[in-house]
Amino acid sequence: MSVIEITGLSKDFDAVRAVNGVDLAIQEGELLVVLGPSGCGKTTLMRMIAGLEKPTSGTVSIGGLNVTALPPRARPIAMVFQSYALYPHMTVFNNIAFPLRARGKMSKTDIRDKVRWAASTLGIEALLERKPRQLSGGERQRVALGRALVKEPKVLLLDEPLSNLDAKLRASARDELQSFQRRLGITTIFVTHDQIEALGMGDRIVVMSQGKVMQIGTPQEVYHNSVNTFVASFLGSPGMNFVRRGHYLLGFRPEQFVPQEIAGSKDNLQLFNFDVTRVEYLGAEQQVYGVVEGSSDERKVISSLSSETHIKLETGNTYVFGVQKQQLRYFDYETGLSIDPQPL
Amino acid sequence: MNATVTAKKQWTKGFRFWSDREDLLGPLFLLPAVVYIIALVGIPFVIALAYSVTDVTVGNTSLDFVGLQNFQAILKTPQFKQGLGNSIMFTLVSQVIIIVLANILAIILSADFRGKWFARFLIMLPWATPITLGTIGWLWLLDSKFSPIDWVFRYLHLLGEPGALLGAQKNLFYLARLELARASIIMIYVWRMLPLAAVILMAGLTSIPQDLLDQADVDGASFWRTLFQIKLPLILPIMSIALLFSLIFTVGDMAVVYTLTRGGPVYYTQILPTWAFYKGIESGALAEGAATALFLFPVLLAVAILVLRFSRRTEVT
Repeated sequence: MSVIEITGLSKDFDAVRAVNGVDLAIQEGELLVVLGPSGCGKTTLMRMIAGLEKPTSGTVSIGGLNVTALPPRARPIAMVFQSYALYPHMTVFNNIAFPLRARGKMSKTDIRDKVRWAASTLGIEALLERKPRQLSGGERQRVALGRALVKEPKVLLLDEPLSNLDAKLRASARDELQSFQRRLGITTIFVTHDQIEALGMGDRIVVMSQGKVMQIGTPQEVYHNSVNTFVASFLGSPGMNFVRRGHYLLGFRPEQFVPQEIAGSKDNLQLFNFDVTRVEYLGAEQQVYGVVEGSSDERKVISSLSSETHIKLETGNTYVFGVQKQQLRYFDYETGLSIDPQPL
Repeated sequence: MNATVTAKKQWTKGFRFWSDREDLLGPLFLLPAVVYIIALVGIPFVIALAYSVTDVTVGNTSLDFVGLQNFQAILKTPQFKQGLGNSIMFTLVSQVIIIVLANILAIILSADFRGKWFARFLIMLPWATPITLGTIGWLWLLDSKFSPIDWVFRYLHLLGEPGALLGAQKNLFYLARLELARASIIMIYVWRMLPLAAVILMAGLTSIPQDLLDQADVDGASFWRTLFQIKLPLILPIMSIALLFSLIFTVGDMAVVYTLTRGGPVYYTQILPTWAFYKGIESGALAEGAATALFLFPVLLAVAILVLRFSRRTEVT
């Protein structure tokens, strides 16, 4: 049974429809990532699940109970904000104990035990007497998680929890957060605009754009079988390449678009004449920018190659590049929707 | 070569030369404030200090040092003792009322409702009125014979008939009865300082990040828990500054008492500033007047330092 059930959820801010008819079912113990560019409504969606925004229409059910009309404190949820929102005047201990004290009916020793349990789970026992301003970004994040955990929520909501960390720390925080979620088996909704976080952490990904859900699926599904050009180009760094062929857009990923010599046997290849306009060296890989000859529009196409490759590519020259035919994706030129079944 | 010389000439002559010279502009812009403070605060303060330890009067302006004799002398007079007691009591009671009401008002005004700007405008009015004018308005409202407040009480049958709650007499004689006169003065101090304190606290409340309040909401905190454990602790530094302002304005004010009761009945509502004025200016005993005026200075200085340190210490971000 799904822990959260969302049906027809919409939210208007004056004339703007921030969330537009979202339907979503979240399974027990799952880590669901809501991914989208800023302004796509993903944070509003999460705030409606938390009860911080009243939906214009639609319902939210948590654990089989319709909570649409309930305030946040009556919902079995916990939330970690992007800023971590630690109470700056309280010690780490008091921050973590706050939800327990707010709920009441808990003895001092029980509260202390619970806080110690959360602190040891997150490895922050040594920080309990500190104030938030004496903590590093990563430590703050753990405190915020600890405060969310002690509530023993049915659902944990995380609003861009990694975006305040520096790039190096983010990779390890991703790993830590995911293994932590697995260990506790807590149903988690994770909002982010970072597709690497989404692909790397999500059991399933919900891709949103302009208030609507574009696609829901496993990372592999949304990456390899994107339902439309938005999802295809938003996922991946850089996103999918498109070349127009009549009514179709031919889509292929930059890492699948390689010189013919590397691609191997010609039989199974779709070949393109590729005019290279720029080669960008990025350490481990290089990105080759250019235009495909015979395309009906002049879209830039990018190829991601290993820097180790022996083929020398020079700006201004034309090379033969190829894509495995089964890796090509066809989209309708007008609607941007994936053609189903794919014409081969 | 020539071009550089011309450019340099234009540079050093023009407005741009001045506008880039922070070392000259800084002192220049500070000068008016420094002159103002020295002339209107510094010099009078030094003169008052000097007067308080001499035997100067309006009739005899020679300054002969007498040590702390003036302080010993004023301490013996009942008017001074009454004034000191009143100054402390009026200030403390009014500050307690102000800080409670200002918090309530600030919370109401920082909420979202229709006509909010109009309510804020009304609240600010007492602060925008010259204090003497405001007090004269209150003088009329509290008039012995024609007080509109008494009219209202009589209309509601609370006053002026046998068995009425506030008594059978026609008027309450606010300023002629000791307790009512003191209460009136305290009320006017509250009326006067409440807007400033409320606006300062409101600014403090609006500066609390929305995330923290949302978090408290998600954490299950009730309105009161959020108020007492999140909002008030977070605005404590700014609240102490509001209190300090209000305290110093109130303790140093003589306009309210001077306009409303002139220290009466007898001298029972006298405060140190009015008593210093009557003693030093009206009776010409400059030295004793100065001693009276300066009496609370060390206390106020200590309070100000303590409050500022407290405010610094409770600051969290």
